[in-house]
Amino acid sequence: MTVEVHSTEPIERERFSASIRRLKEFWALYKTSKIGMFGLLLVLAFIVIALLAPWVAPYDPRALVGRPFLPPMEGHPLGTDQVGRDIYSQLLWGSRISLMVGLLASAFSVAIGTAIGLLSGYFRGPLDSILMRITDLFITLPSIPLMLILAAILGRSVWNIIFVIAITGWTGTARMVRAQTLSIKERPYVEAARSVGARDSQIMFRHILPNIVPLIFANAIVGIVNAILSESGLSFLGLGDPTKPSWGLILRYANEAGAMATGRLWFIIPPGVCIMLIAIGFAFSSYSLDEILNPRLRERRG
Amino acid sequence: MGFKEYVGKRTLQGIVTIILAVTLNFILFRIMPGDPTRAVSGDPRVDTATRLALIAKFGLDRPLFEQFVLYVANLLKGEFGISFVQIGRPVVSIILGRKMINTLILMGSSMFIAFTLGIIIGVFAAWRRGTKLDIFFTVISLATYSMPVFWFGMLLLLFFSYYINIFPIAGTITPGVVHPNFLAYAKDYLHHLMAPMITLGVSFFGGYFLFMRNTILDVFTEDYMLTARAKGLSNRKVLFKHAMRNALLPMVSLMGVHITFLISGAVMTETVFSWDGLGRLIYNSVRNNDYPVLQGIFLFMAVLVVVASIIADIINAYLDPRIKEAVD
Repeated sequence: MTVEVHSTEPIERERFSASIRRLKEFWALYKTSKIGMFGLLLVLAFIVIALLAPWVAPYDPRALVGRPFLPPMEGHPLGTDQVGRDIYSQLLWGSRISLMVGLLASAFSVAIGTAIGLLSGYFRGPLDSILMRITDLFITLPSIPLMLILAAILGRSVWNIIFVIAITGWTGTARMVRAQTLSIKERPYVEAARSVGARDSQIMFRHILPNIVPLIFANAIVGIVNAILSESGLSFLGLGDPTKPSWGLILRYANEAGAMATGRLWFIIPPGVCIMLIAIGFAFSSYSLDEILNPRLRERRG
Repeated sequence: MGFKEYVGKRTLQGIVTIILAVTLNFILFRIMPGDPTRAVSGDPRVDTATRLALIAKFGLDRPLFEQFVLYVANLLKGEFGISFVQIGRPVVSIILGRKMINTLILMGSSMFIAFTLGIIIGVFAAWRRGTKLDIFFTVISLATYSMPVFWFGMLLLLFFSYYINIFPIAGTITPGVVHPNFLAYAKDYLHHLMAPMITLGVSFFGGYFLFMRNTILDVFTEDYMLTARAKGLSNRKVLFKHAMRNALLPMVSLMGVHITFLISGAVMTETVFSWDGLGRLIYNSVRNNDYPVLQGIFLFMAVLVVVASIIADIINAYLDPRIKEAVD
């Protein structure tokens, strides 16, 4: 007599095609949102610039290539900074830092938030109380002063900036994931899974987490906006890596060199516009994501 | 749970948060690279006698736990240490003085403007949903939300200092001027306040506007709004008596949460406009490694935020019939 072995393969395949279907539905909805598509295009444009920076930038952004404070002219579309580096090249390279810090810091903070929210909501009890008090603390602490202090303690590097932004930015995700976990935990299929002896980790990762992923994703996009803005602020305050060109750093130079009082528009306007456009790109994308994913908003749309 | 118990519970939570903040503050300044005794009292700007006194006072030669107990005991006595930069000046007198007042005035006035305009324009945008006015302000708010505060400040500076010279660009009063009376002083001060206030106010307007607009739209989908309309109430009455009252509640709690962002915004704004407040003090202290001052401001701000958010929650619980009923 042979023991019949049920293969899980058809189920897995069904799951996979279901998620593909959902993605297609999602994309069909997303495509109809003008704001969302505009945001996505902006983001893609900056990704292309960041990838191509070494080839499209006319100069090495750190090299002294002209006299200081040159106005826009042939060869230097945005002039040069206070020591004679090409501003246009710095601007193109700056997209790399913004995207890198934005994406990584947001990914890390969402990971921390998800872990804390999941543990807190799933196990409840004393662990929940402790984790939620810590979350309260981090919500309470003023983020820029904390970032300034941490960055001053840790030293000036891009990785420290990423760390500092991640460690101060996870609270929103943690609360959201906790609330979702609390409600999903009570659903019948989770009960069913538990009654057939599924382990805690299995329930958390297979049954609860997949349901929250869309919301976590939306949260991560908002996190990118905040991370990009924080990075520019920290660099502006002089806590970024001074050897890596970033938009906040260019604005710092402009501020220190008194570009405002002398009306050097080309020194001030372009970096800020870049920060704003990339942030708007992500913010608009998240705005339409929210309209699609949030059932309450969808109701309002109709 | 009665209202009083709710207040008690919120206060207790706040106290726990403050204790945690004190602990974090202690740990933060002990993990600094190098010897902890050097970080607190080994600064070359501090002379040997003061250093020995500091080491004795904060027990820096003792085990970490004893240091923590001493640190807390000193805090309770109001001893926050002595600034490295302004030698001999106690941190408390640096923080609780003119700088604090300047910062509170800047934060308060810009918050007030952003809040009031956000509510008024938010209500109208929700009411006229989908019109040009609504779309215009929604786009503007998303844009200001995506704009670095300091950059907007720089644009204002460029505008006011290079193109039209109507607002002074730095400081809180005109340097070197002796004001004949308080009125002249206040006028000069307000004149200096305008540009930083607009900067900070605009950066907060977007958030309030969007929040108010969305809350009003949410309220419109509630059943009681249908009831109100079915009763035959006029549109305006429905809007102001029902929708706005219900939408204002979450705005109040949002304000409590916003204090932290406000502080962050103030650091940027004060740095750009050389506004002589706590934000600029943080920036300067980071630059000068003035750790005792940093520690002090940080704690001060944490307490400020905790107290503000508790007050906001309590006001909210008092105003919201649903919360009040639930806790009564």
